[in-house]
Amino acid sequence: MEVKKIVLPESELPRQWYNIQADMPTPLEPVLHPGTGEPVGPDDLAPFFPMPLIEQEVSQERFIDIPEEILEKYLIWRPTPLYRAYGLEKHLDTPAKIYFKNEGVSPAGSHKPNTAIAQAYYNKISGTKKITTETGAGQWGSALAFCCSLFGIECKVFMVKISYDQKPYRRIMMETWGATCVPSPSTETESGRKILEKNPDSPGSLGIAISEAAEAAALDEDTKYSLGSVLNHVLLHQTVNGLECQKQMAIAGDYPDMIIGCVGGGSNFAGLCLPFVRDKINGKDIDILGVEPASCPTMTRGPFAYDFGDTVQKLPLAPMYTLGHSFVPAPIHAGGLRYHGMSPIVSQLVLDNLIRAESVQQLETFQAGITFARTEGFISAPETDHAIAMVIREAIKAKEEGKEKVILFNWSGHGLVDMAAYESYLSGQLSDHALPEEEIRRALEDIAPLPKPKQYRPGTIS
Amino acid sequence: MKKETMPPGNDYLIRCPRLGHQIYFSYCRSENMGLPCFKTLDCWFQHFPVEDYLREELKPQEWEMVFSKPPKPKLLSLLELAEKAKKET
Repeated sequence: MEVKKIVLPESELPRQWYNIQADMPTPLEPVLHPGTGEPVGPDDLAPFFPMPLIEQEVSQERFIDIPEEILEKYLIWRPTPLYRAYGLEKHLDTPAKIYFKNEGVSPAGSHKPNTAIAQAYYNKISGTKKITTETGAGQWGSALAFCCSLFGIECKVFMVKISYDQKPYRRIMMETWGATCVPSPSTETESGRKILEKNPDSPGSLGIAISEAAEAAALDEDTKYSLGSVLNHVLLHQTVNGLECQKQMAIAGDYPDMIIGCVGGGSNFAGLCLPFVRDKINGKDIDILGVEPASCPTMTRGPFAYDFGDTVQKLPLAPMYTLGHSFVPAPIHAGGLRYHGMSPIVSQLVLDNLIRAESVQQLETFQAGITFARTEGFISAPETDHAIAMVIREAIKAKEEGKEKVILFNWSGHGLVDMAAYESYLSGQLSDHALPEEEIRRALEDIAPLPKPKQYRPGTIS
Repeated sequence: MKKETMPPGNDYLIRCPRLGHQIYFSYCRSENMGLPCFKTLDCWFQHFPVEDYLREELKPQEWEMVFSKPPKPKLLSLLELAEKAKKET
């Protein structure tokens, strides 16, 4: 019988996270304050994050020890298994070897707890009494609720009221883990009260929920805010996955020719690929591919530039792949792939040609998800389906080329609380939408006059 | 798909990429303090002539406010709030 999955013993759980900032050929450009033009410092971030996380955000140390208390909690679900997708390979009749890292085995069902655990711990040792966040359907909120419960920190999640009313399952998960889940707008914050005064029946919005969560943190020194993607320290914590995977691939006797992950803010993709990016920097021949929706090509076709966060141009500037501040992302069907900007680390690695990006259409992603469910059994989160779609493309290509390519991808989470999206696909409601080139070009004109980072390169949109 | 000239009713649901679940048009139409969510055109154009519909419904300045403004990247939004908090204290 062939080995289906490789499960590391607990003793092989990585003891350190890997910090790509130590090895990046081009250091990250600083986030600039729009008023002063100076780099944003720790004091700017202190109202929201404890100092250990702020230090990790700018650390240049190559490896950072994982505290024993976090290791103990990781063992609840880590190391996660590495699977060989024999069923999918057979279905595709491909010579490619397909491996996937199953991050859906965490209690919250995704990769999100890899950083939620760390954030809860560092808040705990820094004296934080309460952590706030916002959520729609609740993937990040449930991960944070789970991890706060492990460290005895109060967790308050401002959940958009319409989501609170319509999507009870993740709310119940959060409450089961002891979090307080508040329908937003609420009477607990000034911003919420103002909304309710005007409209007592407001169904809420993500913008209102973010305002409430941030206000709660900013006005109480015992309360901090937590974010589940984009930031450097979030990506750092996620590397525990890629470091595990390197050990598992060695046991399998293979090394990936290609690594694939879906990309939203960048955390799950980075978590798997960054340790392999280090190998690539040191000479390994490996193709590392981030997959995003075809209709929101922030990384695929946009140039790397400083972009203002709003049209009045008051917000700080950060270097990232962008389509400009007038760009409105097109429809996608993946709750995690919704960021206007990309993680600065991922953006820089694309710029340095260490990773690249491709996009897929939404119908293709759901078809891929269904193929995967019917060959490997697991029902994927809609954003994970983007990675699977690209894996299938590459496996078919390997067949056409007669190459025994080794493909590794991150199965970032299950879709068991997201079945309505599959129902929409199965009932034929969804349709493809590609953003017209002209629309992208028009949006990019807006950022053309802005100051460019030293290594500015125009995007390839011709 | 047949395109109707009027918005579909609340029994017609599509997935909201921001919230991560199914939603109906009347929510998107007023999500932004009574104005449409900035993604309304993108999300609904496949289902009915949403641009024509909203151009008739909205004043020109409302249209500009909603569809010419970008979503704020989360990191930058937070830093803005930190600045605000510092000033308040």
